[in-house]
Amino acid sequence: MTLTMNKSIMQELGIVDTRNIINTITEKYNYDFSDYALISFKRRLEKILESYNLKYTDVLINKLVGNDRFFEIFLDALAVPSTEMFRDPSLWRIMRDEIIPAIHQDSASFKIWLPNSVSGDELFSLAILLHEMGLLNKAQILVSCMSSVSIETIRSGVFSNSKFEISSDNYIRANGEFELSKYVTLKDGIFTRDTSLIQNVTFIKQNSFLEPVPPSVKLILFRNKMIYFNQTLQGRIYKTLYNALTSNGFLVIGTKESLNSHYGNNDFIKISKTESIFKPRT
Amino acid sequence: MIYKAIVIGGSAGSFQVVTKILNALPKNLSIPVLLSMHRLKHVRSGFLEALSLKSNLPIIEPDDKEQIKPGRAYLAPANYHMYIEMGNRIALSTEEPVHHSRPSIDLSFITAAQTYRDKLIGIILSGANSDGAYGLQKVKEYNGLTIVQDPSECQVRTMTESAMRLTKIDHIFTTEQLIRFLQKLN
Repeated sequence: MTLTMNKSIMQELGIVDTRNIINTITEKYNYDFSDYALISFKRRLEKILESYNLKYTDVLINKLVGNDRFFEIFLDALAVPSTEMFRDPSLWRIMRDEIIPAIHQDSASFKIWLPNSVSGDELFSLAILLHEMGLLNKAQILVSCMSSVSIETIRSGVFSNSKFEISSDNYIRANGEFELSKYVTLKDGIFTRDTSLIQNVTFIKQNSFLEPVPPSVKLILFRNKMIYFNQTLQGRIYKTLYNALTSNGFLVIGTKESLNSHYGNNDFIKISKTESIFKPRT
Repeated sequence: MIYKAIVIGGSAGSFQVVTKILNALPKNLSIPVLLSMHRLKHVRSGFLEALSLKSNLPIIEPDDKEQIKPGRAYLAPANYHMYIEMGNRIALSTEEPVHHSRPSIDLSFITAAQTYRDKLIGIILSGANSDGAYGLQKVKEYNGLTIVQDPSECQVRTMTESAMRLTKIDHIFTTEQLIRFLQKLN
């Protein structure tokens, strides 16, 4: 592999090496990363190589095929965690005022799906919102993760210290009723979120195409996940999301993720000027 | 034109200089300008609008996978890293901050250098941390042209001086010199 040794952030991984790793995974496991966006995928691999102090991709490949537990750790490290809780507070205000009331009004129980979950930031934000609306018991929340390590992490409630301050500010801007610290405890320097908020959540182990896909979902939270896919995979995943949603459901993606006509996608209609909230076209 | 893109990095304090640059660049500039500037994570609007007031080029806060077109300036959106992806497209990322920054100047510069190689002009302006120094080094490694704003006119010199420590810079320009240089590009 190409090694650029200097005081650099990380070594530079060649495209051939990247492809070799992707092919190895596809052959051995039920995961296909060949249509991930190349630059960010390469960066994730470089970060993993660096954190395990691996100089050669062959060593990584051997570890991947020979050690199923390492593969789960790898999958967790490969995925990009959410940046913070209540990212884009303006979205969460609309969730509270419009989206949740809309999906709740016509049914006793309603299904919400969070595919490709990694850090639990979106899940806990959602759970706090529903809790404050008195609807947490009515929501059937499904969280899909590629890695069992991600599931363990989310279930433990552990919360990255570096995200606490910005998340607290976001929570206030999102019109939270209290302070975020009401739901977070600090012990021995570690922040942990109140796991009673997620006790009824169903966790699903998914593949790289979000499968298995649950049916009849009212709301899909899938923010800043599409950016790690190339356009081929984006097209495929938008179809998957469309098929999972009920006709009166909603899809929420990141503010800078587009479902523009240049993808040839006419399955969704944007319903908010400021936020990336979509309804399926019926 | 021998160059294919210009990438500019600075912090919010370099706003005035960027405004002057965008005001001075010719309307028919035949290459794109990529702007990676430190900004508040939670303020999504306002920055683009303020920069656009006196800009000769249309400025865009691109969506993910947006096609890069000549004669336009692309501003890294708040709380996203901005990469140059295969097929001359923008790619956005929410990966961890670099030097406490997202957008990170380093990441925009590195991916631009990998794409445009020796056809890239990298410019580092006034800024408060060393983000951008490594990125500019990458521009140099690929034989692109490296420019740093003269530290003597920078409000905060950390960014420019870090870049100068790491790389032998091709041009150290005052704002006026930089503008004259860019105007002669087309």
